[in-house]
Formats: sequence, structure tokens, C-alpha cells
Amino acid sequence: MEAILIQIGELLGSLGPLIVLPVVITILGLILGMKFTQALRSGLTLAIAFVGIFLTVGLLGENMAAIGNAFAERTGTGLDVIDIGWPAASALAFGTPVGNAIIPIGIVLNVLLIFLGLTKTLDVDMWNFWHQAFIGAVVTFVTGSFALGLFAAAVTVVMAIFLADWSQPLIEKYFKLPGISFPHLQSVGYMLLAAPFAWLLNRVPFLKNLKLDPDTIRKRLGILGEPIFLGLFIGVILAALARQSLVDIILTGINVGAVMLLIPRMVGILMEGLSPVADAARKFMQKKAKGREIYIGLDSAVLIGSPAVIASGLLMIPVEIGLALLLAPLGNRTLPFIDLADGVFVTAMIAPLVAGDVLLTVILGGIVMGVGLIGASLLAPAVTDMVASAGSIDIPAGYTNYTVMSDGAIPHSYIFYFFFRSPVFIAIALSLVFLVVHYFLAKKPLTEAFLGVKEEEPKKKK
Amino acid sequence: MKTVYLVCATGIATSSMLRVKVLDYLESKGIEVEVFQYRVAEMFPERIKADVIVSTTSMPPEIEENFTVVSGLPLLTGIGEDETFEAIAKALTD
Repeated sequence: MEAILIQIGELLGSLGPLIVLPVVITILGLILGMKFTQALRSGLTLAIAFVGIFLTVGLLGENMAAIGNAFAERTGTGLDVIDIGWPAASALAFGTPVGNAIIPIGIVLNVLLIFLGLTKTLDVDMWNFWHQAFIGAVVTFVTGSFALGLFAAAVTVVMAIFLADWSQPLIEKYFKLPGISFPHLQSVGYMLLAAPFAWLLNRVPFLKNLKLDPDTIRKRLGILGEPIFLGLFIGVILAALARQSLVDIILTGINVGAVMLLIPRMVGILMEGLSPVADAARKFMQKKAKGREIYIGLDSAVLIGSPAVIASGLLMIPVEIGLALLLAPLGNRTLPFIDLADGVFVTAMIAPLVAGDVLLTVILGGIVMGVGLIGASLLAPAVTDMVASAGSIDIPAGYTNYTVMSDGAIPHSYIFYFFFRSPVFIAIALSLVFLVVHYFLAKKPLTEAFLGVKEEEPKKKK
Repeated sequence: MKTVYLVCATGIATSSMLRVKVLDYLESKGIEVEVFQYRVAEMFPERIKADVIVSTTSMPPEIEENFTVVSGLPLLTGIGEDETFEAIAKALTD
């Protein structure tokens, strides 16, 4: 079994995602009942999206690595690890051998869990299996084993589904979204770490009275919600701090803006390819789960329209930069960059823990991202390896490092990194214990009473 | 030509899922449209030129009040898809 898995891993690795992914997706589409041309179109679109993504990731590498190194040297902060952002990281993760296999594995595990009555969540959000693929890739990097990477990815798929059950009642109540849950490892992972601190903060009377108005913040900082402007600001500020020439400062601003716009466009093509397959998978799973009470598992992106989430997400931009500098002496090497654009994914599922209080949400987000920056720094060698394997960036030996702030900051990412630095049997045992903890969390969903959230006027939602 | 905005948190993730389904549907009805994808944080009323906004997430109140907004959630969950398609078509043909 182990030997077969090793061979499969090597085969997937040598063929690369441009060949493997369209084949996997086309076959999956056929199994799910799609017509051959439809399934092939999906697979092909996915592969073409990857061509575009790798091109634009190359652009990111050339421009940003230089500025990152200059920043670290000139400022003496030691922040020499560049955050490549989730759009690039998602493609890199799907492009790894574990990533090639993750979607079918995710579907099978989810259907199995529903049949065993272990969950009510039916995850129709195939896209976000990339977070688990990312963890699998990290574990593969640490252990050198495709099988262990696959194991870690599978375990975290189950964990995300359990956490969706755990968070469902609170999320439903706050956002008024019945019948939906969020097995989105990123946001729900942050939420898990933030929950005990929320329990504490909700019991500090003084903090609750400092109300920040979400609408004012949203209107004042609104321009930072646009990637090209945010890219320009961040690029210009960091290049200025790195004491570049005026021309280079402006060019960096434009290049970062380009990265923030272009990579997501390519990822959009990937989503278009995935969409019909995801739709077929959803129909297939809904048919299998017929007659059971289920929650449809979606991307936490659905939650982001809430004013409190947007406002606190925008405030995360200065908080993340401040934390990165502040935590440099404590082992942070990550320079927040592209993921600054998506602070809303940090705050989406944290806001309900404190009834949408903007200040408390930002404090909790700060705790999660503070630990997370150090986690992301630890994962830099693994991410750098993924970038290098994608073949699009030449990495000077022992010099430039890449990481991804958002996913490095998911507790499960660095926890599994630590697990698998132990001997294999201990790592597997720890993973399974952690899985059991998640199972019990799912059995005992989070409530407002436990968190000590006062009954607030609920958010308007039509 | 009528204009459809597809809006989600990132302007790429769930809105791209909508794009495929909405375009397929409108094509089958013979309705020609121009489609743009945006992030919800980019939605400022003075800049919007849409006949209908389909969003997978809730929209700021100033948008909800002044524009035709259809929730795209049913297209993600598969529950109530037909009604959603009809609402989009209605907004475009009225």
C-alpha cells in the first residue's frame, strides 16, 4: 500500500498539474454524470488557468522578491519572507500531488461522514479543499512522504467538516443564514483559535463600551477595498521604507497592484473550470443525502457583505503590518503583502463571536494573525519549495523565501507542521487525538450563552 | 445591452461560479448581457451601472435600497435555483 502510494505520488509529481488535473477533473466529471465534452471542457479550462497562474506567479516572484530582500536589509527588521497571497497559494496547492487528488478524496470522505451520521454538513465548496491540499503539501515537504501528506489532508478535511457543525448555530443566528454551514478551514480555523479569547473578551465590561461604527470605517477606508489601490499603497510604502529610488518606488506600487489584480483574474478562470464539476458533485451528494437533515457547506466568502466584517477586515491591514514589525524579535520573518487585501476572511467568522463588535473583532483577529505570522514564517521553506516546484521562479539558494500569510496563519497548518516534525507514529497519534477533539466540538456546538455574547440587535439581512 | 454585476467577497471565487450558471441560463433564454465581476468592498452606489446585481453575500444597505439586488446564494446551494434565475431574467426584461 505504502509502496503504491509512493509510486502514485512520484507519477503525479513528474507529470505535473497541467496534465494530471485535467485528467482527474474530466474523469471525476464523467463519474458524476457530466457529458464528455462538458467534463473535458472543465478539465481543460482548469489546466489553462494553471498556465496563466504560473505566468503571473513568475511576475510576482521577480518583482516582489527584490523588494522583500531590500526591505529586510535596509530596515533591519529581518522581514525577509514575502507573503505571496492566497490566490497564488491556492493554485500552487492544487498543483501539488496531494492537491491533484484532494477533490475526489474530499467528496468521498464527506459522503461517508454523512452516511455514518457523524456530520450534518454537506460541503459543496470543492474549491476550498485547497487549504487541506496546502497542509498536505506542507506535511509532504516535512516528511518527504506523499502518503503522509494525503493522510494529513484527509484528516483536515474531516476536521473542517466537524468545525462547520460546531460553528453552525452561532453563524446561522448572527448572519440569518439557515441551513448553511462553513467547512472553510481558513475562516473556521481562525474562529476555533479566537473562540477562547472571545469568551474572555466578552467578560471585560470596559472594552464593550468602545463602539466603533462599521459604516464610518467602511466609507473612510473603502478605497483600500480595491486591490489596485491597496497594491499601490502597500507597494509604495514598503519600497519607500526600503529606500528605493523614486522610479522604483512607483514601479513597485504598480507591480504590486498588477499582482493583486492579475493573479486573481487567472484564479477566476480556474473557478470557471471547476464550477460545472462542483455543481455536478453537489447534485450527486444531495441525491445521496436525500431525506437527511443537512447543512449545505459553503465558502465563508458568503459572509463577507456584513458591514462589521468589512470594516474590521479593512482595519486588519494596519494591524497585520504592525504585528509583523512588532513580532519580528519573536521569530516573525513574514512581510505581509498580497493577503493584506483579504482581511475580511480573518474577520468573517470571528465577528459573530463578539456580536459584530468591530474593536473586539480586530483584537481577536490580531491574536489569530499574530500567532499566524510566526506560523507562516515557519512554513516558509515548504511554501518556497512549492513555488520552486511550480517551475516558474528561480530562487537564489538560501536567500529568497516565500510564504502565504493567510494559510500559514490557519492553526491547523502550523499544528500539523509541528505534529509531523515528530516521529511518524507520534505524528499520526497526535493527528488522531486532535481529530477526536474536533469530533467532540461538533457534538457540542458553540452558543452565544457560552461565549457570553449579549443579545444585540441583529444585523439586517433580507 | 443590459448589464449584470456578479458580486462576491473576492470578485473571483463564488462570483465565477455564478458567472458560468448565469451566462448559461441567460443564453438559453436568448438574453444578451454584459457581465462584470466585483468585490463587495468595491461597491459604491455612484459608480454602479447595473440592471441587476447578483451577489453571493449581503450588500451594504445603500446598495440594497437603490438597485435591483438578487441573492446568488441559491445558485451555490442548489435550493431555489429556478426562482433565482427567474428573478434575474425578470430584472433584465422589464
